[in-house]
Amino acid sequence: MLNPLRSEDEAFRALLWVVGVAAVIIAIVLIARALF
Amino acid sequence: MEAGAMSAGAAVHDEHHHGPPPANRSSRVEPQLLGMLLFIISEIMVFGAFFTAYFFIRVVAGDQWFPVRGHALPVAVAAFNTAILLSSSLTMHWAQTSIKNGNRFGLKAGILSTFLLGSTFLFVQINEYIHIGFAPHDFAQASVFFGLTGLHGAHVFIGLTLLAMVTVRSWRGHYTPAEHRGVEVPGIYWHFVDIMWVVVYTSVYVL
Repeated sequence: MLNPLRSEDEAFRALLWVVGVAAVIIAIVLIARALF
Repeated sequence: MEAGAMSAGAAVHDEHHHGPPPANRSSRVEPQLLGMLLFIISEIMVFGAFFTAYFFIRVVAGDQWFPVRGHALPVAVAAFNTAILLSSSLTMHWAQTSIKNGNRFGLKAGILSTFLLGSTFLFVQINEYIHIGFAPHDFAQASVFFGLTGLHGAHVFIGLTLLAMVTVRSWRGHYTPAEHRGVEVPGIYWHFVDIMWVVVYTSVYVL
């Protein structure tokens, strides 16, 4: 389980995870807006 | 020996210890890490309050988001700024990894780059505020925009203050592979500032 508050390394990996999730959400919303 | 001396109330004279007596530890978590942990949790609550205002305006009240009254947000400029801040997290990670492996050049170059990139982000943001064309009191969406981005900008400033100290100390030869908490803890804070920006940018500028 990733604990971003335990070390800098885990905080960095949490950032990468958030960037990935944000990219997916943006892609889904923009595609949905384009289609509907 | 430590516990006995403290319970007796006697001053502990330790020839190897400099400064005030060590603080009482009641947690298994290191004090420095615990302090940053509690601070970041409180910061998440503060940002949560501002996001609640955003949510209320946009979802509950159903108000139109930008463009409002002919004013649009500079999404491209903010995207460039996002790239800068993400790069600064990369350099921060480079600095931290370097000192863990005893690479002093990597530490110094990484931490200085992080500070410069963070400063660039703040400079671009301030410039954006100057040219954006509306004020916080003009309409509700503007208040939320300046509130969220301004709150984040204040956190970037705090982070830059921490990074300035780490940069000076790094260039003075401080920190070792065994003892570099002074790099690690500001590093955790900086990554959280970056995480908050990704959330702010996604919700305010993109969606």
